[in-house]
Amino acid sequence: MHPTRTGVLVALATALTIPLVAFQDRGASPAAANGQSQSLVEYDDAVGRASANGVDFTGEWAPRFHEDEPERVPGPELGDYLGIPINDAARMRAMTWEASIQTLAEWQCRPHSADYIWRGPSPLRIWKDVDPVSRQVTTWHAEWLRSVDRSIYMDGRPHPSPNAPHTWAGFSTGRWEGDVLTIKTTHLKEGYVRRNGLPRSDQATLTEHWMLHGDVLTVAAITTDPVYLTEPFIRTTDYELDLHQWVPPYPCQVVEEVDRRPGIVPHSLPGTNDATSDFAARCGLPIEATRGGAETMYPDFRDKIGFITSKCIAAQR
Amino acid sequence: MTRSRVWCTLVVLAVASATLAAQRGQRGQQPTQTPRAMAPSDFTGYWVSVVTEDWRWRMVTPAKGDYDSVPLNPAGRRQADTWDPQRDDAAGEACRAYAAPAIMRVPGRIHVTWDGDTTLRIDTEAGTQTRLLRFGPRAADSATGAAAPTWQGDSVAAWELSGRGGGMFGGTPAKPSGALKVVTTRIRPGYLRKNGVPFSATATLTEYFNVLGPEDNGDRWLVVTTIVQDPQYLATRFFTSTHFKKLSDGSSWHPTACRAS
Repeated sequence: MHPTRTGVLVALATALTIPLVAFQDRGASPAAANGQSQSLVEYDDAVGRASANGVDFTGEWAPRFHEDEPERVPGPELGDYLGIPINDAARMRAMTWEASIQTLAEWQCRPHSADYIWRGPSPLRIWKDVDPVSRQVTTWHAEWLRSVDRSIYMDGRPHPSPNAPHTWAGFSTGRWEGDVLTIKTTHLKEGYVRRNGLPRSDQATLTEHWMLHGDVLTVAAITTDPVYLTEPFIRTTDYELDLHQWVPPYPCQVVEEVDRRPGIVPHSLPGTNDATSDFAARCGLPIEATRGGAETMYPDFRDKIGFITSKCIAAQR
Repeated sequence: MTRSRVWCTLVVLAVASATLAAQRGQRGQQPTQTPRAMAPSDFTGYWVSVVTEDWRWRMVTPAKGDYDSVPLNPAGRRQADTWDPQRDDAAGEACRAYAAPAIMRVPGRIHVTWDGDTTLRIDTEAGTQTRLLRFGPRAADSATGAAAPTWQGDSVAAWELSGRGGGMFGGTPAKPSGALKVVTTRIRPGYLRKNGVPFSATATLTEYFNVLGPEDNGDRWLVVTTIVQDPQYLATRFFTSTHFKKLSDGSSWHPTACRAS
């Protein structure tokens, strides 16, 4: 069969048209580029491509205690407030704290809050909810051994009224900044910034930046608290991907640990707990350093305390 | 369709296609962007370390034998137990705790600048050290082993790229993720901590740098994730992440010499 001249011309035109279509801009829509939420029920090619922003944090993450292991695993010592930008109110409250408060029924099963849990001793699981139609990630979830399921909403919903209930996980929304997931959390219940009584108020807010580098997850958690902190308090924590890890169940049952009269809350009165100075004495550190405050977290504080060799050997445990 | 209409259509399509091809050709002829021009974030400026972690091992000199948190193997612990700062001073080795695997963890300010278009330079107050993070292939003398190991080693830098996707329609061009990856080798043996916690000549340092913010209060942060691998002294990879807050200027810059204790 001999093709007609018209047929050849049409075929040639088609061949020339294909590159024009193929090289159309595949960029995201302006709305997606601005991080605005998209419809979750209507298919939008631009939305689908925009969802390629960011990275997938899904997996089982093992904590690596190569920073502050004595504080994070066995627990911090009484009176150790080194490098934390606390104010006088936080310091006084911490110095009235007694560890036996953990034996109260109200405290025994209390989970770590969203701001502290990164620094806790628990394995971590991260998973995602995906809208079945748009295939966008609508929510990230993070769960540790001793925590509640924490949801991070990615659909652009607003934070609730300030009068809405506060919870251990708070209310979290996320957005992408390149491959960094930035999360804002409000509505936290009162918690602690260190497990030795350093308080964090329910007015605090939390900003997190999740960063994935190969099989390493680094999270910068920045707590701002107008009640107990004079500056934002930042910690950066590392987890390693471990596909063999499993976050076990944590069935917590309240029991009577100490025989005490009802209504007793373990505490010390201000200025009466001499044990809060033991840490400084044992480690050979200046007492003013162990009392914390923003000054202690900056390098120039060493000019004030001089060159000191610590006497602590935590590895003896 | 008449023959003249077909010819008309063909001419239009041919012109459009030729224009597109020309544009693609021009793109292809554009000179490759320099690493400096490709920087996804501004890493330059003065930054101060904010010591909210490992205070006991960073702000003061730890006690001999205090290597808690570091995954040392038995050989590493034995080596750490031999620490003698006077001996280091006498041997001119006072900078052992200021080498690349440790220097970002030493409290102080750092100054990040571009040294040309292909090298990021980090100057440190602590120990007055200079790190050169070179984009591109390793220097020839280092690759062949001609150069002696140094405290800051030989650092090869690259912008991290996001994935490309896959499948029939899923592919997208790779783009910078925002992070800087640096791999450093040929490091003169030194200390991970000031109290003699060792790393060996076989150590490899991998770092990821991220600039974060501005936060609600205007703060900008530089976060450095550090991974040290050392088959001689470490049982596993050693992970730390260190944060620096951006300063408005260098008015407080005050370099200091290395100290062995």
